[in-house]
Order: sequence, then structure tokens, then C-alpha cells
Amino acid sequence: MKSFSKMVTPYLVWMTVMIVVPMLMIVLYAFTVQGNSVLTFQFTLNNFARFFSDTVFPSVLWRSLKMAFITTVICILLGYPAGYVIARSAPNRQSVMILMITLPTWINMLVRTYAWKGILDASVFSAEFKVYVGMVYNFLPFMILQIYTALSKIDPALITAAHDLGADNRQTFLRVTLPLSVSGIVSGITLVFLPAVSSFFIPKLLGGGRFVLIGNLIEDYFISTGDWNFGSAISLIMAVIILISMYITRRLDKQTGEEEGD
Amino acid sequence: MEHKNSTLNRLYYWLIIAFFYAPIIYVVIFSFNSSKSLTNFSGFSLRWYQKMFADRTIMESIWYTVACAVIATAVSTVIGTITAIGLSKSRRIIKEAVTQVNNLPMLNPDIVTAIGFMLFFTSLRIQTGFTTMVLAHIAFCIPYVMLSITPKLRTLDPNIAEAALDLGCTPLQALWKVIIPQIKEGIFSGALVAFSMSFDDFVISLFTTGPGINNISIYVYANVKRINPTINALSSIIVFVITAVLIIINVVPMIRERRKGKENEKNLKGALD
Amino acid sequence: MKKISKALLISSAVIAMTGCSASSGKTEQVMDAQKEFGCSTINVYNAGEYISESAIPDFEKAFNATVKYDVFESNEIMYTKLMGGSAYDVLVPSDYMIERLMSEGMLQKLNQEQLTNLDQISDDVIGMRNVFDPAGEYAVPYFWGSVGLVYNKNNVDPAVIEEKGWDILLDSTYAGRVYAYDSQRDMFMVALKALGYSMNTSDTDEINAAYEWLLSMNKAITPAYVTDEVIDGMINGNMDIAIMYSGDAAYVLTENEDMAWVEPKQGTNIWVDAMVIPSNSACPALANEFINFMVDYDQQYANSEEIGYSTPNKKAAEELSAGTYEGISAYSPRTGYEKDEVFHFNPEMTKKLSDLWTRVKMSIN
Repeated sequence: MKSFSKMVTPYLVWMTVMIVVPMLMIVLYAFTVQGNSVLTFQFTLNNFARFFSDTVFPSVLWRSLKMAFITTVICILLGYPAGYVIARSAPNRQSVMILMITLPTWINMLVRTYAWKGILDASVFSAEFKVYVGMVYNFLPFMILQIYTALSKIDPALITAAHDLGADNRQTFLRVTLPLSVSGIVSGITLVFLPAVSSFFIPKLLGGGRFVLIGNLIEDYFISTGDWNFGSAISLIMAVIILISMYITRRLDKQTGEEEGD
Repeated sequence: MEHKNSTLNRLYYWLIIAFFYAPIIYVVIFSFNSSKSLTNFSGFSLRWYQKMFADRTIMESIWYTVACAVIATAVSTVIGTITAIGLSKSRRIIKEAVTQVNNLPMLNPDIVTAIGFMLFFTSLRIQTGFTTMVLAHIAFCIPYVMLSITPKLRTLDPNIAEAALDLGCTPLQALWKVIIPQIKEGIFSGALVAFSMSFDDFVISLFTTGPGINNISIYVYANVKRINPTINALSSIIVFVITAVLIIINVVPMIRERRKGKENEKNLKGALD
Repeated sequence: MKKISKALLISSAVIAMTGCSASSGKTEQVMDAQKEFGCSTINVYNAGEYISESAIPDFEKAFNATVKYDVFESNEIMYTKLMGGSAYDVLVPSDYMIERLMSEGMLQKLNQEQLTNLDQISDDVIGMRNVFDPAGEYAVPYFWGSVGLVYNKNNVDPAVIEEKGWDILLDSTYAGRVYAYDSQRDMFMVALKALGYSMNTSDTDEINAAYEWLLSMNKAITPAYVTDEVIDGMINGNMDIAIMYSGDAAYVLTENEDMAWVEPKQGTNIWVDAMVIPSNSACPALANEFINFMVDYDQQYANSEEIGYSTPNKKAAEELSAGTYEGISAYSPRTGYEKDEVFHFNPEMTKKLSDLWTRVKMSIN
């Protein structure tokens, strides 16, 4: 098996250069002032103090997390049945069904969001509802794909065995199918929750500019204000919070995995 | 999984599909509108298509978008697959490290990843352009590919590869003939996600590209200032092309099979004669 | 299969039909850029939807040159891209951004000998340019305009809005029927002007007063904060009042007869977008020719007619305001009003305002 683990080496190099180094530059900016010229860096914690000493920034953060959480929950509730239906379809039809789900994501996200704006503009729905429609629309395909991937891997024999052992449909689903698809839900959450927290275009367009989320804040400070240091600090704070929530999710995944093993 | 669905199940699937396609149908309908309005359909016209095909910037942006997405998907799927398989046999600490680092571009807002790339390229004095854009796309696609493949690998019996090696397979054969066929759905959906991520990307492309190189998103974002049905025409063309490709992918094997069937019939007849 | 080949046929027919370029056809080659300057390609970076369809093909034909044309969504994105090392030959930023680029040494002086068409620019616009480029060494005006209010004549009394100016935004009669502009710079301008201060102030008390003004505006009218969606929104009559740029307003007024335009009596921001050449331009000689070409009557007329923003070309402006844009007040913003100001670049202020702006946005719900 050694020969297989060697296959990771090229990526380790690539990853360090293309992901770690650019991120370190952001960290560097978050802890310094006067960033725009490289020679005048000065260490500081002021950017973080600025964020937490004013109630407005934490409240933006809180709102973003709440919105992303609700979006993720809706995506699981809508996406699980969809993935389930696809996985239960005739094998030769599954790839077409999946393609039907992914096709819309190839149309530009900006265009699709504008289309939703056109459709929803005349409606009486609240700005908040419109934002959720846009968010769920945008992220649901990724949830469905992940859940489907996990479900399609389940050995049909397991289901048959459960039935043979006297489990009814509900029991089979709750005790066999669902636990075996948790890994798909977890990767789905990763694909939905993370980008949802930082999305800025959808709330901006569908929320009539009334929904400032952390992504809008970062965008504002990086581009409009040109304050890369504070922008980097906000990004870093967000990254830490997300890492923590991911850690918790993965813990849950592992626990259910261990229960399965028992 | 059992392979049967109730009517209710099927209805649910079509409801989800309706939800996904509503805005797309909307875009396609209004791309044929003779007036500029996006709310009143005043008559059928191809003027926005004419305008689109005459616009060099749009045509170039389509080319760059497709080229970038194809290269990024191909490279990231290969690297992602190899790395994911290798990782499943690696030590825990490496596994953890790679997963954590991979999370960074996925969890960071695009704008942060984008600025990171930009700072990186400029500090190395690399002139940004198509190459830097593709490199950035590959970088943010690989984690998504790996994310799709890893759950598949986790459910894979670890002894299978060993068995293949014991039975005399070279590691490459074991990889190609044993592991990859078992995770091909994961690879497939990973490639799909990578392609749509790359195809759709806006912010990272904007900050890693150079003068004269635009993708569709960059063009769209800068041109939606006023009602611009040309963009609807552009989006509709993408819908048509993708639909056509899908039909070809699904129809060609069917025709081939039918032909095979006929040939078999012929052979059978010939043998009988 | 039959259907697909049919679709292919149709699409290739469409391509054949429209294969020719959008060139107006009247331009003739005046120069061979490669022979004359040793380079024949320039990269132009302009705002989105800010140029006539014929301009680039006409220029390419006239100079046997290639123009790579990119567009940006805001001055700030353009600046960020320049920081990232992108090399362009011609940029079209706004006044305050040119001021910033000048102060950071990112621009080169124009070659006045090549710029033979400058005398076509009206004195008013030259006056605005002089605010940030007094000697005209760096910038040649491209479009200019102001910021004002577009309103629906049927639902808002013209006499009232003329009388109140910006203060109509504090009138709860219009709650839920107003578009505000989602930009820190423009909204603080409105508030400072409404209070009778300079929009370029750095006085803390005045800024705090403006912040309070915006909070009470949010409370009174709960505006939708939008940027470019305002144009379609007002054409469709979705709202009764909108803060808008004059050129966009001119377009709205031509599309919807119910809409009218007012430049508030408390004064407003007048601005000019101008063409400049970055110091790292690889082909400045051709860039100068491009600028000269664009400021000429023919191109300015086509540009302004198509886009709706006011041209600095005196003759073109006179003809358009009496022709295509007759009766469209927003096409000819006021000049010489003493309470109107040009925005100045001030990095300290931008940073100071940004935190307050976040709070303004968060106060809305």
C-alpha cells in the first residue's frame, strides 16, 4: 500500500504553493497595518479589536451564520428525498437524472439570480423569503449530488437483509439507509453551508440591499474601501468560526460512523 | 438500494426539476423578446442573438470560459482522483492535514481566495492572464473533486486492492482495474462539480485574469447595468448547447446498440443462409 | 438526430446572418499603427455599457489596430486590478480615482501634439476636469454628469420635491417607495448636502450628523438599497423616488414618460469620467490616438446618443439636447451651481465612513 500513499506527494507540493501560501498572505494582512506597499508592514491586533469592539460586526456575523444554517437545513430537507429518488431509479436512468440536476448550475449564477429577481419582483414575498429562494436554488444541486453519491453506494443486499430480518420500510430507512448516507449529508453540508455563509451576490440582489452579510462586508472592505487589512481580519475571523463548526460536524459524522461499526 | 419509485417519488423529482428550470425557462423565453423588457413579452425576435454573435467580446469570453473549464476539470479530476486514492492509504496525520488545507478554498469567501491568489501572483511578478486563471481554477476545483471521491473510497473494502496486488496486479493495474471502476460515480460527480464551479466562477477569475481575457461571468457582471437581453441570449445558447450535448451523449449509444442489434440479426441471417 | 442537425443548421444560419461586424462603415483607414508606432494593439479598460457599439470597430479600421476591450463594474475594482499588476493602455475612471492614480504616480502625461480634438470639449467640462487635473496633462473627459432624484410625476408633487430636495427622503409619506443608492460615497454625499455641508468634509461632527441623517432616513422611508437595478426598477415604475446618476436618469426618462428629474437645491455631486494612460502602457502613442479619436464629434455623438450620459463634446451635446434628448432634463445637468461639488479622493475619510456605512445598512432591519 506504500506505493499508493506516494501518490499524494505531488499534491502536497501543489497545495502548499497554491493554497497555503496565498492564505498566509491574507493572514499577514490581517495582523498588520498599512498593507498596500509590501515594505511597510507593522504587526498589530487592531483589526481584530475593531471587529469585536463594535456590536455591528458581530451581529453581521451572527446573521450570516443563521442564514447559512437555515439554508443548509432547507437544502437537506429538500435534497435528501431528491437524492433518494434518484438512487432508487433504474441504474441506466440515474446519470441522466443527475445531469438534469447539474445542468442549471452551468448557467451563470449571476444570470440565474437575475432571472429569479425578474420572477420574484412582482410577487408579494418578503425580501427575506426571496433571499432564501435564491440561496436554496443556488446550493441545492450540490447537496443532492452528495447525498445521491452516498446512497448509490449502499449495497442492495443490506436492505434486503434488513427486510428479511423483519424490519419494515421505516425501520430499514432509519437504521440502515440513513446512517449509511450520513457521509453524503456531511459533504453536502460542506458544499452548502460554507459558501452560503460568505455569499454576497444573492442577498445583495434579491434582498434589495437590505441584507448585509459577512460576505458583503468582506467585499466592501476589500474593494470599495480598499482596506485589505480589515477585510483580511474579517475573513480570518470567519474562517476560524467555520473551521470550528466543521470540526463539530465531522465529530458527529465520526460518532455515527462508530455506532454503525458496533 | 432497491430500484423502484412510487408515483409520489417521481412527482417529487419533477417538482424539484421544475424549481431548477423555472428561471432558465424564463431566461430562454425573454431571450426571444423583440423588446428590451424582461417583464412584457412583446413579440418573437432573434435580434439579441444577432447582437450576441456580432459581439467579439462575448464570443471571446465564451471561448475562454469553455477552454478554462475543460482544462481545469480535466487536470483537477486526474489530480484529485490520484490524491484521494493515495490519501486513503496514507497516514492519519497527512490525511488530516490535506483535508484541513483543502477546506480553506471551500470555506473562504471567493473574494478572499481571489485576493490571496492575486497577491501571490503579483509577489512572484507573474503577469496575470489565461494561465494564471487556469491555475487558480485548478487549485479551487481539486478540493471539490476530492470531496466527491472520498466518501466513495471510505465505503470501499480496503482488502480489495490488497487482494488485487496479491493476485499479481501491478499497483497501476490495481488502481486502474480495481479501485477506479468502484469509485467512478464519485469521479464523475466530482468532475461535474469541478466543471460547473469553474464555468460559473466570477470573483476568482476576475482577480487572476489579465487584460483582454474575460470569462462569461466577468462579462455578465460588468454588463447587467441596464436590461441587457443579449445576456439572456448568451445564457440560452449555453442551455441549447448543453442540452444538445446531453442528447448526443444519450442518443448515440442507443443508436449504436440498435445498429449492433441489426448487425447481429444480419449475421444470424447470414449464418442461416 | 434529425432535430440536432436541424438545430445546428439554424444556429449556423444565425452566425452567417450576423457574421459581419457592427462597424458603421463610414470610417476609413487614416493610419497604419504598426508602421507609425511600432505597435498595433491596445488594452482599454472602461466601465460596463459605457461605449457605443461602433466605436471599437471604427477605431480598429481607422488605425489598422486591435483593441482589447475590458470592462469594470466600479472604479474600486479597476483600481484593485491595477494593483494586481494588470497592464492597460487606456483607462476611463472617475475624477476622484484619477486624482488617486495621479497622486500615486500611476499615470503618464498625455502627448498634447497628438490630441488635436481637445478644442471640441466645452469649457464647463474643462472646468470640472481642472478640479483634479488643472493643466490637463493627464486626463481627457469622456462623459460627465451629476446625481439627482428621479420621481414619478403622478405620485410625487413636482412642487414638493423641488422645494424639499434631498429632504424628501425624510418624508415618511414615501415609506417603502424609494430606491437609495448602495454606495457609501453617494449616500454620505446626499446626507452631507442635505445638511448644508461640503461633501468633502473631514469634520467629525458633520460626519456624525450625516450618519444620524441617514439613520433617520432609514427609519422614515425604509429604502431599498440598490445599484444598477434602479434603472429597470424605475422604468417599470416599481418605486416613486430614486437617487440616480444623470445619464441613467436620462435613459429612464426616455423609456418612461411618467418619470421626471430634479437636481436638489441643496447641491449635489457633479462628476466627470475621463480617459487616462497608465504609466506602464506598452503602446502610449496609439493610446493617445485612441483618446483623440474618442473625443471627436462623430464618436462622441454616437456614444452619448446610445448610452444616455452627457458628452463633453460641445457640438454633439448641443445637437443631442435639441434632438434625441429634447425635453429630457437629465441629459443636460446643471453647471456652475455654487453648491455642486466634485468629489475628492481622501483615503482617511473613506475608511472612517466605512464603519458608519455598515451601521447604516444594518440599521434597516
